Amino acid sequence: MPASSPDEPSGRDAAFAREALPWMDDVYRFALSLTRDPSDADDVVQETYLRAYRSWHTYTPGSDCRRWLFTICRNAFLRSVERDRPTVGLEDVERDVIGAGEVYAAALEEGYTDLYARADIGPAIERAVRELPEPFRATLVLVDVEDQSYESAAEILGVPIGTIRSRLFRGRRLVQERLLAHARDLGVVGDRGPEARETP
Amino acid sequence: MSGSKIPPLPPECLEVLKHVWDYLDDQLTDETTERLRAHIAECQGCFQYKSFQENFLEAVSTLRLRPGASPELREKVLGTLRTEGFAR
Repeated sequence: MPASSPDEPSGRDAAFAREALPWMDDVYRFALSLTRDPSDADDVVQETYLRAYRSWHTYTPGSDCRRWLFTICRNAFLRSVERDRPTVGLEDVERDVIGAGEVYAAALEEGYTDLYARADIGPAIERAVRELPEPFRATLVLVDVEDQSYESAAEILGVPIGTIRSRLFRGRRLVQERLLAHARDLGVVGDRGPEARETP
Repeated sequence: MSGSKIPPLPPECLEVLKHVWDYLDDQLTDETTERLRAHIAECQGCFQYKSFQENFLEAVSTLRLRPGASPELREKVLGTLRTEGFAR
């Protein structure tokens, strides 16, 4: 029996099942990072796959299907929100990088340098990322969680690479600040022991 | 930087401080990458700072292990696609 052509309905569906459907977990995680609500994320994923199926003829077989789905997902999300999205001013990238250095200096002083290696840090990281304001959250999730390159993230979010860099660095700094605050709130004992926390 | 907890640093350490994420993200030129790599290899403070940031990125990347789409969502998506003619 000859193989069906990608242009025939059965070949088209087989290609869609093979290339697009396996990425549903990734699309869901990205959708959840955008919506911050599981039910809304479900709706965005459904809309994403519906649009992807209808537009499958525009997809180039063998290209980066996950990136293509992320782009559709982001557009589906933007259309799903009627409200104005909050804007956050972008400050100088260097300030964010130095800010991250200050988090480290504080962690060093207070004995928290092993903070990120702790087995119980996962939920705190998840919460810190979920609470990040947009547009930093989507950028950080794409690059640091979904392992997209700066170039891919720029294409998905429709912004220049320099903007990805500045949003990413801000997002990382904000997450680090929240994790340090989390450690302080819980009285997590750092790698220098409890006596280190008594140092002014 | 006014009020900064960071003490004055030698230029080589300041360069690591400013570019550690670019370094870890492989966004620097070969020449700069090599310069930072050589300094980090011989400076304990910079090595520890690089490790701190490396551990942070590794910890964030573990969010990828979170649960993805539920079986119910998969069924819903497939059901929606079938109304469009999807035959799988």
